[in-house]
Amino acid sequence: MNPTVSPTLNEPVWFRRLLIGVGLAFLGLFLVLPLAAVLTEALRQGLGAYLNALHEPVALAAIKLTLIAAFIAVPLNLVFGVCAAWAIAKFEFRGKSLLITLIDLPFSVSPVIAGLIYVLIFGAQGWFGQWLFEHDVKIIFAVPGIVLATIFVTFPFVARELIPVMEEQGTAEEEAALTLGASGWQTFWRVTLPNIKWGLLYGVILCNARAMGEFGAVSVVSGHIRGETNTLPLHVEILYNEYNFVAAFACASLLALLALVTLAAKSFVEWRGQEQRATVPHLIPAAAPST
Amino acid sequence: MSVLTLRRPGVIPGFGITLGFTLLYLSLIVLIPLSATFFKSTQLGWDSFWATVTAPRVVASYRLSFGAAFLAAAVNLVFGLLVAWVLVRYRFPGRRLIDALVDLPFALPTAVAGIALTALYAPNGWIGQYLEPLGLKVAFTPTGVLVALIFIGLPFVVRTVQPVLQELKPEIEEAAASLGASRRQTFFRVLLPSLWPALLTGFALAFARALGEYGSVIFIAGNMPMVSEITPLLIITKLEQYDYAGATAIAVAMLVISFLLLLIINLLQWWGRRRHR
Amino acid sequence: MSIIIENVNKHFGGFHALQDVDLNIPTGELVALLGPSGCGKTSLLRIIAGLERPDTGSIRFNGEDATRQHVRERGVGFVFQHYALFHHMTVFDNVAFGLTVRPKAERPGKEEIREKVRELLRLVQLEFVADRYPNQLSGGQRQRIALARALAVEPKVLLLDEPFGALDANVRKELRRWLRRLHDEIHVTSVFVTHDQEEAMEVSSQIVVMNKGRIEQVGAPDEVYERPATAFVSRFLGSVNLFHGRVHSGWAHIGDLKAPAPEGAGLVSGAAAVVHLRPHEIDLATEPAGSIGVARVSSILTVGPMIRIELEREGEGREDGPVEVELTRERYLQAPLALGDRVFIRPRNLRVFAGT
Repeated sequence: MNPTVSPTLNEPVWFRRLLIGVGLAFLGLFLVLPLAAVLTEALRQGLGAYLNALHEPVALAAIKLTLIAAFIAVPLNLVFGVCAAWAIAKFEFRGKSLLITLIDLPFSVSPVIAGLIYVLIFGAQGWFGQWLFEHDVKIIFAVPGIVLATIFVTFPFVARELIPVMEEQGTAEEEAALTLGASGWQTFWRVTLPNIKWGLLYGVILCNARAMGEFGAVSVVSGHIRGETNTLPLHVEILYNEYNFVAAFACASLLALLALVTLAAKSFVEWRGQEQRATVPHLIPAAAPST
Repeated sequence: MSVLTLRRPGVIPGFGITLGFTLLYLSLIVLIPLSATFFKSTQLGWDSFWATVTAPRVVASYRLSFGAAFLAAAVNLVFGLLVAWVLVRYRFPGRRLIDALVDLPFALPTAVAGIALTALYAPNGWIGQYLEPLGLKVAFTPTGVLVALIFIGLPFVVRTVQPVLQELKPEIEEAAASLGASRRQTFFRVLLPSLWPALLTGFALAFARALGEYGSVIFIAGNMPMVSEITPLLIITKLEQYDYAGATAIAVAMLVISFLLLLIINLLQWWGRRRHR
Repeated sequence: MSIIIENVNKHFGGFHALQDVDLNIPTGELVALLGPSGCGKTSLLRIIAGLERPDTGSIRFNGEDATRQHVRERGVGFVFQHYALFHHMTVFDNVAFGLTVRPKAERPGKEEIREKVRELLRLVQLEFVADRYPNQLSGGQRQRIALARALAVEPKVLLLDEPFGALDANVRKELRRWLRRLHDEIHVTSVFVTHDQEEAMEVSSQIVVMNKGRIEQVGAPDEVYERPATAFVSRFLGSVNLFHGRVHSGWAHIGDLKAPAPEGAGLVSGAAAVVHLRPHEIDLATEPAGSIGVARVSSILTVGPMIRIELEREGEGREDGPVEVELTRERYLQAPLALGDRVFIRPRNLRVFAGT
C-alpha cells in the first residue's frame, strides 16, 4: 500500500514530471546504459564470435569453478543463517545485538581484506602455511581458498534476511505445535519452515548472486591459474586485460544475465512474500496483548 | 504481561545447538581470520606500522578512497532520495520494472560493472567520446573512480529510505497543510526530518561499501600511484610484492575505519528505530 | 483429570511473577484465572501447560507429577491468545495437525483422521470452512478452530489464554455462552485466563482471583462476589465506594456506623479499617439512623433501567472522592431527588477490610 496524498496537496504536474524525469535519467545513466554496453560489446563481432568465446575450455572451466564455489558456499551459509536466526529470533539472551552486529561484519569488510585474512592464515607465510606445505594441502591459490573467500563475503545474506522474518513471526505457532505433540523437528519442518520460506529463498537468491559474482576476495586467493583457479569474474578480468574485449564481454554478459535473473527471481519472491504477509492478519492483534 | 512471557519461550527446542553452531561458524569463518590481521600487524612494531600506513602513496590512496567514497555517497544521498520519492509517490508506466532494476548493483558482479563503465566512459566509449572534446576525462582518472562508486552505492539510500517513506502517513502532510504550511515547508520541516535517520543510514552504508570496493573500480581507475590508486588496490599490490606485513598494516587501518563506520551505522539505525516508536 | 499446583514460584529476571502459588483444580471444573495484567495468570497457565517451567514447586495431573514433563507429553490442549493458527495450512490441516505428528505406530489412519476432524468441526459448528485458510475466517471462527485443533488430541486438560480477548463485544458474548455449553458437553477440566470479571462470572464454575503473583481467593463466582476475601478482590469484581474508619474491640467504626469486624484479617483494636460499599447496595435516606455518612447530590444520570447518582461527601472522608449510587428506576421514583439535596448514605450490605 502506498500513501497517496490528496490531489489538492500533491506537487504540481510539471514538478512531478520533472522529478520522474530526473530520476529516470539518473537510473538510465547508471543502470541501463552499463547493462546495454555489456550486451552490445559482447555481440560486437556477431553471435558466432560470442558463442565461440563461451565455448573456450578455460571459460567452461571458469563457469564450472564458479558454480562449485556457489554450490558449497550457499548451502553452508543457508544452514548457518537458519541456525543463527532461530537462536536469535526465538530466544532471549545476553549479547544478542552484539551477535547480530558480528554477523553483519563481513559486509563492512573490504573484499580485498576478506581474501587477505585467509592468505595470512593458510598462505605460505601464514599460521598454518608450513604445516599445510608439509602435508601437501593447498588452500591458497587453490579451490578451497576460493570457496572460503566466497563463504566469507556471502556470510550474512541468509541470516540477515531471516532474523527479522522470524522475529516478526514470534513463537506462538511453534508453541502451538508443541502443545499438539509435535517434536522439535516436526515443528521446524511443518510450521517454521513454511512460514519463513520466502524470506529464506530471498536470502538464498542474494547469497547466490554474490557468491557467483564475487571478484575482489576471490582475486586475492585465486592465484589466477587459467583453467584451474579462475572463476568467471576473474576470467573476465584476464580476458579484458589481454584486450580480448569480445570474449571478456561475452563472459560478462553471462554474469549480467545472472544478475537479471536474480533481480527477476528476487522481485517474484518479494511479491509472493508480500502477498503472503498481506494475507496474514495474525500480526494485527500483536499490538493488543500487553493489556 | 504477555510481553513478558511471549519472549521467553522456555520450551522451544534447539537453543544450545543453534547458538553453538552459530558461534562456532562465526568464529571459524569471520572472527578468527579477521583477528589474524591484527596479530600479523603487531609483528611489524608500532614504528614501522605507522610508517607503512602513513607513507605518501598510501595517504594519497586514502584521500582518493575516502574522498571519492564520500562524494559518491553524497550523490547517492540526493539522487537516492529523489528516486525513492518518485518510486513511492508517483505512478508511471514501468515503475515496477525500474523498482526492481534499482538493485542491479547488488546483483551485477563488480567486475562486469567495472568493464561496462569503462566501456562507456573511455575516451572512445559511448559517453566518453562526447565528453572528450569538452576536456572532460572520466575513465582512468579519479572521476572514473567516483562514477564506479556511485554505481555500486546506488541502491543503499533508495532501499533504506523507501520503506520509511512508504510508512509515512498521508495524515501528517494533511495536518501540516491544514496548519497552513506550504508544500515546500511541509517537505523540509515535516517529511525530511523523519527521513533523516534512514537517509544517513543509507549514506553510511553506501560510504562503507564504496570504501572497500575493488572490482568495479580497478578497471576504470587507471590505477596511477598517487593519483587514481585506491587503498584496496594498494593492499593487493603489496601482496603481489610478498610484502604481507605492509599489506596487513594497511588492511588493519582500513578495518579500524570500517568498524567505526559500522558502529556509526548501528547508532543511526538505533536512532531511527527510536524515532519510529 | 484433576490439577494440583503446589508451592509454585516463577521469576522473570528480577520480576517475581508467581509467589508461593497453591491451587487445586478438581476434575471437570471450568476454572477462570482472573486478575489484572501482570498478575501472573498467564504465567500460571503456561506453567500448567508446560510452556514455562516453574522455579520451585510442582504440578500434578491426577496425582501424578508432571512438573518435569515436556509440553509435548503433557496431553494438554492450549488455545493461544491470538489463536496461533498455522496460517499456511487449511483449517482442516490445522485441526488434523496434532494427529498427523504422532509417531507412525500411534497415528490414526487417514480416513480416521478425516472423520475425527469432521466431527470436531461439527462440534464447533464450522464444518463448511474446512478448506479455507485461517486468514479467510472471522475472529470468532478462528477462535473456534483453535479450540477444535486443541481438542483433536483429546487433551486431558484444556487451557485457554484470554480466549475472548481479541474479539468484539457481540461475538465475545456469544462465544462465552457457547464455551459454557461446550464444556457441559465434553466435561474436560478447563482453565482459562481473563482480566474481565464479567467473563469469569459468566463462564466459569470456579474463579481464581490473582494479584501480584499471588492467589487472593478461590471460589464459586457468587462466593467471590458476595464474600470477597480481600479488599483487592472486592474492588476487582466490581466498583465500590470506600469509607475509612477504625476498629474498636471487634467493631469497625465508620462515621456513626458500627459494623462487625471480621476476625483474623488483622483487624485488632486501633487498626485502620476500610469499608467497601457497592453502588447498588446503598439506600439514600433522609434520616441519619444507620447511615455511614452524609452527602449532597451532585449529578443524576439515567443509564438504561438504572439511575446513577453521584454524591459529594460532607464532613469526613471527602478525600475519598464522590460516592456512586445505583438505584433501579422504580426505587428512585419512590423518592426522587434533586441536585443539591442532602442525603444520608445507608448501606444495605457492607464489607470491612483491614488497611486504608
